Amino acid sequence: MESFTNLMYGFSIALDPINLMYVFIGVFAGTLIGMLPGLGPMSALALMIPITFNLNPATGLILMAGVYYGAIFGGSTSSILLNAPGVAGTVATSFDGYPMAQKGMAGKALAIAAYASFVGGTISIIGLMFIAPLLSKVAVSFGPAEYFALMVLGLTAVVSLSDKSLVKGLIAAIMGMMISIVGMDLQTGTERYTFGSIELLEGINFLVVALGIFALAEVFYMLLSGNKSTPKRNAIGSLKLSMAEVKDMAAPVGRSSVLGFFTGVLPGAGATIGSFLGYSMEKRLAKDGDTFGKGNIKGVAAPESANNAACGGSFVPLLTLGVPGSGTTAVLLGALLVMGVTPGPMMLEQRPDVFWGVIASMYIGNIFLLVLNLPLIPYIAKILDAPRPLLLSLILIFCMVGVYGLSFSSFDLVLLLAFGLIGLVMRLYGFPAAPMILGLILGALMEESMRRALQISGGDWSIFIDKPISLVLLIIAALSLGLPVVKKMIQKARA
Amino acid sequence: MTRLNINQILALVLVIFSVGYLWMAFQIPVFPIPRPIDSDAFPKILGICLLVLSVLLFFEKQPKTENASQQEDVEPVTESSVTGMQNPKVQVLGTAIAILAYAFLIEPLGFLLSSILLGVGLAYWFGYRQHGVNFATVGSIVLILYLLMSKVMGIYLPTGVLPF
Amino acid sequence: MKIRSKTPLKALACFSATLALSASMVTTSFASDWTPSRAVEYIAPANPGGGWDTLVRTTANVIRSENLSDVNYAAINVPGGGGAVAWAQIARDSRNDHKLFATSPPIILVPLAGTSRFNHTDFTPVARLITDYSIVLVREDSPYQSITDLFDAIGENPRVSIGGGSAAGSMDHISIAGAAAASGLNAASVNYIAFSGGGEAMTSLLGGHVDAVITGAGEASAQLQGGELRALGVSAPERIPGLDVPTYQEQGLDYTFDIWRGVMAPKDISEDALRYYEDLFARMMETDSWAEATERLGWLDAYQGSEEFGEFLDEQLEQFRAVLGDLGLLRN
Repeated sequence: MESFTNLMYGFSIALDPINLMYVFIGVFAGTLIGMLPGLGPMSALALMIPITFNLNPATGLILMAGVYYGAIFGGSTSSILLNAPGVAGTVATSFDGYPMAQKGMAGKALAIAAYASFVGGTISIIGLMFIAPLLSKVAVSFGPAEYFALMVLGLTAVVSLSDKSLVKGLIAAIMGMMISIVGMDLQTGTERYTFGSIELLEGINFLVVALGIFALAEVFYMLLSGNKSTPKRNAIGSLKLSMAEVKDMAAPVGRSSVLGFFTGVLPGAGATIGSFLGYSMEKRLAKDGDTFGKGNIKGVAAPESANNAACGGSFVPLLTLGVPGSGTTAVLLGALLVMGVTPGPMMLEQRPDVFWGVIASMYIGNIFLLVLNLPLIPYIAKILDAPRPLLLSLILIFCMVGVYGLSFSSFDLVLLLAFGLIGLVMRLYGFPAAPMILGLILGALMEESMRRALQISGGDWSIFIDKPISLVLLIIAALSLGLPVVKKMIQKARA
Repeated sequence: MTRLNINQILALVLVIFSVGYLWMAFQIPVFPIPRPIDSDAFPKILGICLLVLSVLLFFEKQPKTENASQQEDVEPVTESSVTGMQNPKVQVLGTAIAILAYAFLIEPLGFLLSSILLGVGLAYWFGYRQHGVNFATVGSIVLILYLLMSKVMGIYLPTGVLPF
Repeated sequence: MKIRSKTPLKALACFSATLALSASMVTTSFASDWTPSRAVEYIAPANPGGGWDTLVRTTANVIRSENLSDVNYAAINVPGGGGAVAWAQIARDSRNDHKLFATSPPIILVPLAGTSRFNHTDFTPVARLITDYSIVLVREDSPYQSITDLFDAIGENPRVSIGGGSAAGSMDHISIAGAAAASGLNAASVNYIAFSGGGEAMTSLLGGHVDAVITGAGEASAQLQGGELRALGVSAPERIPGLDVPTYQEQGLDYTFDIWRGVMAPKDISEDALRYYEDLFARMMETDSWAEATERLGWLDAYQGSEEFGEFLDEQLEQFRAVLGDLGLLRN
């Protein structure tokens, strides 16, 4: 009941005409930034800090939060239409969203992404409102050992993500991990696989790899396959979902939202990992799991609800502990400090207006996003009607500009090309891209957390099974690897 | 078994790669303060895993279905008909070279000019012949991106030969 | 939409700046006649959002809004290599009078660790502007009451872990290892756990996964208000106003560590240009806009002119070299 009163108080702030305007500006700008491949919410927010100087703290955070979740919302558009992920959190959306667009169901894919994002966002706000302080305890209970176990669990998804050949899937995952450890090793400051290049010291940017492997490789592939075998792609298709489809997606969206939200709460995990976990969980649970990756609607709904929920979840550690869980929330924290608000355990008492105002504004922002995006879908999807040569050239421009805007470095453009060619080879010879991206996301995190844990324990491996959370996660990981094998063996025995 | 299939060729490439990777892993210096697990452990594990997996790939049976499905959606370069500039392989190569050129020209030529050149040029080369539409579309999209990034967000982009 | 939203704000800022200017009638007295003839490239050797970027954008804003210069100071991000990419670019551009960049201890530490060919002697120090200090935090229920308690515990049990937000051999690690060395311990005996950000390190401390955390005092103030964490000591020469934490020196540990930030220019810029910029930043720090910005960002003014700053950098080099040597991490 208390939450309800607080929420009403929050709405009284968020519904103020000025704040309402800033929610709108925020989500609108965020959607645009999200749609552009490469350019993500982090740089956008950092560059907005001077604007927020002149704003009331509640208004400032309402604006910036709007840009953040607006970008995650909008990022799905380019993933679906161009196979070029707009932000890191929407890479998984392209697995099924792009095939859907290829089949002439772009409109439906975009609509599903919008609905799923809306539901994921809303569920995370409800979670944020009722159990944020409680969840902050969950967030701090995750130490290096627990993170390691979580990463191991995440990596077991490689098995379900590599459909044709397990060996090829595993090779792709290992290559992803190899890419992830390039650069300076945090624990020792040692350079690894940099070939003496200072450009590689900070590692390889995730989006450079993702845009290369997905978007650029796709352009090359389309060039290679020539004009004849191009699928008919000028149909955008209907936006309408059938009752059966809605029923089919309800459970995956619900599950992925909850999973995404909890992933978002953990500092360092966030939307990208959340969307992958959601996707691979649904692929395993679905009866038609083998059609994932070929345009299954649940394959769009799951990652989209998970990444938006994770975005909401990332506000839990930020607002209740005052610690940022990601680069983007670190910028938000910086902005709040500049505006004279110190997020943390005292924030609920000191600045309830900021806390509840932002939460209430998120409800409004999510509705804005839905209302704003749905009518625009037919227009945005028109880009697919562009003549093929022009479309290919435009995809290339978006990728190049996106990558350049990410690091302002020609070196990264060359890297993008290299990953585009690697992606093409993988595509031609049946190496799945998803496990590679998964290895890339989880590899370095897994290594780092394992070494951190062992350094704390003085080299004692029992730290991973002494901690209950870590033990449970590792058991789940073992089960999820073991069960399918056992199932197969039973089937074989019967046959 | 006289000729290697494509998987076996790729497997050999991967074997060479993983050996090189492992060799580099053994060059990683030891951290002067003793660590339970040093920087070289993880790369060594990765290298060995890749080596083992590439050997497995070499001996993996080629499922017939995979070949079939590849045939149906790839059709990589049907040797005959298309030649010269319209040959798909040449197009991929040319695009790669164009991207490289863009990477090196973006600073001297400036963001606006090099991006428009790349976009218009590639669309033309891929076979688009409505020059007006081509120029207008690419030009306006690049211009919008430029204005959004440099004027609204305050990101510095190289101006090159143009004054803005 | 976004363009329109920003313009009124800009106009407002300009308007208020003009007001402030006419009210105080700032009389400009240049130390030399040299003035920049075109826009000054003002480089942040990192992505938007970090410490260097904030310094560049804030100072550029103050210079513009207070009308301290006729030309624009264009903030340019050159990320990569912990700064090394930008340094390599700037080092190629010696004698350029229209280029500045933000700097802090990594310009000394990164070259010492062997990952940059260029160090502070390859550039011209212009001015040191601000500083922050290291602070050591523990949980409220921790057995350690003072910094000496912590170091005594480390002496007895080398597994006592101290988390920090940067890589081994970089700022946080040097700061705590130097303090440990000053207390008579072996610098290498500090079990430093590197996290990928101060935030992650602090979460780990809150959850009791590490025993203590070293971070910037500015970053820690929010946590200290919350009451779940407690500070053992701060590396400042005297207590920081508004922060009720004893210094190391008060606790009998003769050690200070500055997390300073300043501005540098390429090597061999003209003497006149150097004087101009030195004076520009000195005047900037006297303005109201600057006072307001530092108040908001929790920065402490620590101005030093070019010559003094250069000497300070040489001292820092010796201090860091000694600590890195103790740690066995000296590679250059």
